[in-house]
Amino acid sequence: MTILTDRYVWAAARTVPEHQRTELDRELRERIGDATDAQVEAGLAPAEAERAALTELGDPAAVAAQYIDRPLQLIGPKYYLTWLRLLKLLLAIVLPCAAVGVAIAQAIAGENVGGIFGAVIAVVISAGVHVAFWTTLVFAILERTPAPAGRRGVDMPWTLDMLPALPEPAKASRLAEFITSVVFLVVFAVVLVLQQFGLPWVDDLQSVPLLAPDLWSFWLPYFIALIGAEILFAVGLYLWGWNWWLAGANLVLNVAFTVPALWLFLTGQLINPAALEAMRWPWGDAGQIIVAIVVVVVVAASAWDVVDGAIKAFRAQRTIESATSDRGIREDLRSAR
Amino acid sequence: MNPDETTVAHLQELRRGTVVLACLVRLRTPDYGYALLESLNGLGILVDANTLYPLLRRLEKQGLLTSEWNTDEARPRKFYRTSPTGDALAVALMTDWRRIDDALGGLTTGDES
Repeated sequence: MTILTDRYVWAAARTVPEHQRTELDRELRERIGDATDAQVEAGLAPAEAERAALTELGDPAAVAAQYIDRPLQLIGPKYYLTWLRLLKLLLAIVLPCAAVGVAIAQAIAGENVGGIFGAVIAVVISAGVHVAFWTTLVFAILERTPAPAGRRGVDMPWTLDMLPALPEPAKASRLAEFITSVVFLVVFAVVLVLQQFGLPWVDDLQSVPLLAPDLWSFWLPYFIALIGAEILFAVGLYLWGWNWWLAGANLVLNVAFTVPALWLFLTGQLINPAALEAMRWPWGDAGQIIVAIVVVVVVAASAWDVVDGAIKAFRAQRTIESATSDRGIREDLRSAR
Repeated sequence: MNPDETTVAHLQELRRGTVVLACLVRLRTPDYGYALLESLNGLGILVDANTLYPLLRRLEKQGLLTSEWNTDEARPRKFYRTSPTGDALAVALMTDWRRIDDALGGLTTGDES
């Protein structure tokens, strides 16, 4: 036995538990010795023969891992799908919550828009890394924990209930969505018009308009026209389902609504000064916090609406592509017959 | 993957179980790893050292082989022997092997007629 063999055996044996080391050591020496002898018989010099035998044996860490049945993957097929589903779910829940929470906190602290964006991006990245790392770590440990005899370990068997819903509902089931959005939009428009006579359900505002009456010269008609456009959009959505044109229109409508509304709100032109007085605004320190929360929630809601539209358009497009290729295959089959 | 690689992969898959069967039958007389490797390859049951040694350990862990260190010579060697359980498994595997052979034979004859 030479230094090279000793180094190889040590490299393999040091990674296995103490009580298995002697056995692995002996087995490897037997195997290396026999393989070297065979190479010498085939005509190689002893030193070369040993090198050839060790090279054929391969990475000592892999040999040792095989010896003690240590998995050579971080997460194996038993846990991979569970890990993937859990990770997606956690990211989908944690990241939006973290983003909105941080945005509200920064807005209350009086950060400017750039500062808020910077903080949100930094927190979303670090939260994402944390969620991914700790989830993966738990599953990597599970992968290396032997299950009790006769059990499969922690396991989430797949059931029929886990089948996802079909991505694009048929036109009939889009009707419910259509009716909901039209009813909501009409109610919204009616409230916009009627608020000039006061809000009867708020004690302080029974005869005071909530929104500044000056806005009737341009902005309120503009918003009401926009609601009309939203109704047309809902009709288009009902007729054609989501596509990229409608997703684009959704983006335009959201920007056209959110940007002027926020601008008016933040510059103090939106709310009627008389109404503010009647409500005894600002309510101490709460004023700034409420403004910050309103702004963040409005921005997050319209950003989500735009993203949601894009996701639905993407899925619908994919469904159409697979449906047409299915149809293509079926027609091919028919013509072949 | 070119056709050759595909063929090699399928051949390996087909042979995998037969190596287990060959070991169980051959080790009814005790022998050590390298001698087994040589004799199997000599018989035309082609197997690689990196496959055979881990396989022997796995079969031992499953109780199908027993082992004993022989220290009579300068190089200590681990001698494996088929256990009674291993023998029973060998009989079952061999029966199935013959059944599959017959079935495939029937299939081929059916093709030709």
